Amino acid sequence: MKRILLAVGIALLMVSCYIRDSQPFVGSVKFEGTGYRPVYKDPEDVAKVEVSAAQALKEPGKIYTFDRYLFINELGKGIHIVDNADPKKPENVSFISIIGNYDIAVKDNWLYADNLSNLLVIDISNPKVPKLTKTIPNVIPVVSYPMLTGVYFECADPKKGVVVDWEKVSMDEQPKCYR
Amino acid sequence: MKKLIPLFFLGLAAIGMMLILNACQEGDASNDVSPQTGTGGSMARFAITGNTLYIVSRQSLEVYDIKDGGNPAKAATRNLGVGIETIFPYQQNLFVGAMDGMYIYNNSTPDNPVLMSKYTHVMSCDPVVVQGKYAYVTLRAGVNCRPGGSFSSLDVVDITDPTSPSLVNSQVMESPYGLGVSGNKLFVCEGDKGFRVMDISDPTKPIRKHFYQEVPAYDVIVRNKHLIITGKKGLYQYEYDDSDSLDYLSQIPVL
Repeated sequence: MKRILLAVGIALLMVSCYIRDSQPFVGSVKFEGTGYRPVYKDPEDVAKVEVSAAQALKEPGKIYTFDRYLFINELGKGIHIVDNADPKKPENVSFISIIGNYDIAVKDNWLYADNLSNLLVIDISNPKVPKLTKTIPNVIPVVSYPMLTGVYFECADPKKGVVVDWEKVSMDEQPKCYR
Repeated sequence: MKKLIPLFFLGLAAIGMMLILNACQEGDASNDVSPQTGTGGSMARFAITGNTLYIVSRQSLEVYDIKDGGNPAKAATRNLGVGIETIFPYQQNLFVGAMDGMYIYNNSTPDNPVLMSKYTHVMSCDPVVVQGKYAYVTLRAGVNCRPGGSFSSLDVVDITDPTSPSLVNSQVMESPYGLGVSGNKLFVCEGDKGFRVMDISDPTKPIRKHFYQEVPAYDVIVRNKHLIITGKKGLYQYEYDDSDSLDYLSQIPVL
């Protein structure tokens, strides 16, 4: 009898961990009708890198200097290349559009940049016409949750594509994922 | 006459370009180092020393050999705890900023970084810069950094012995992001609140000198008395000397 009770008890404990829908709330925060939903993109679109004429800064992130050039990250969007030979008159030269880009580093004529989990190698021997020469996949382990805590979110589904962003939306039901 | 005005400006621009190009040629001649690498800010997740590229992801340190610059080759991985944010190489050490502390790696063998110690602090967001025997760490409280936390701070950590770092000073800050150090100056980006200049003639006791509230600042690069700052309103450049004030050079505004 005791064994059966124990077995049932353990089974119930396991079930209690598994089914969360019926729980009032999972984390320390109550669900209040809004959560985060993954924004998916096709892996091929994610890896697409385009060079264009200089663009205005919108949401500048990190900076990097090399020789006379300044590299300014546009949060999650790409890299501005600026000729800073005269710091009194910096001249915006070109823009490299890269999804999920936040970081940059340069050695000689090579610019290294992140593109979500990819590492890109870009030839900048002519900074006006940077050229993507290599995309190395799975270099940077990425996480499949929003960079926030105390939030509910729709669990990411790798089959739907690469998560490039999280949008805050109103939800009828409490999503399964929480952090 | 009106038609001539654009021509006049074009001419000026051409002369300017020629001057710039000339200046650069002179600079290059005296600056013949190989390999040439650049400088990043304190918020960076990428760092290059010599022929090695270090990348910190949220939970690991990835090491790539870039002797052949066009073909990075994986050299090592070090799994770290969660919440890794920044990397700052200084001499033979790597300083990795994490949400719960600062890791110090010895990278005398660049492809094989060895963990020396971990200086643990309260949960927060925290880039780090180093000069001489001291590391300057900012700890920012906030929704995603120190949930329920009350204040942000600037910590000075003695790293004379990288195997046992110790806290020597801590003071309250507004909302610190990146920071930069050079000589007797410490620069702290206080996010949308502004840009702070501190004196570290005594490196263990940073003293507040100026607070530029009109310059929202996220990260800064300091080199040769020259400051490059990014923030919500764009990119700012300043020059400074031994006094504590800054001379404005230029701005690339956010449009």
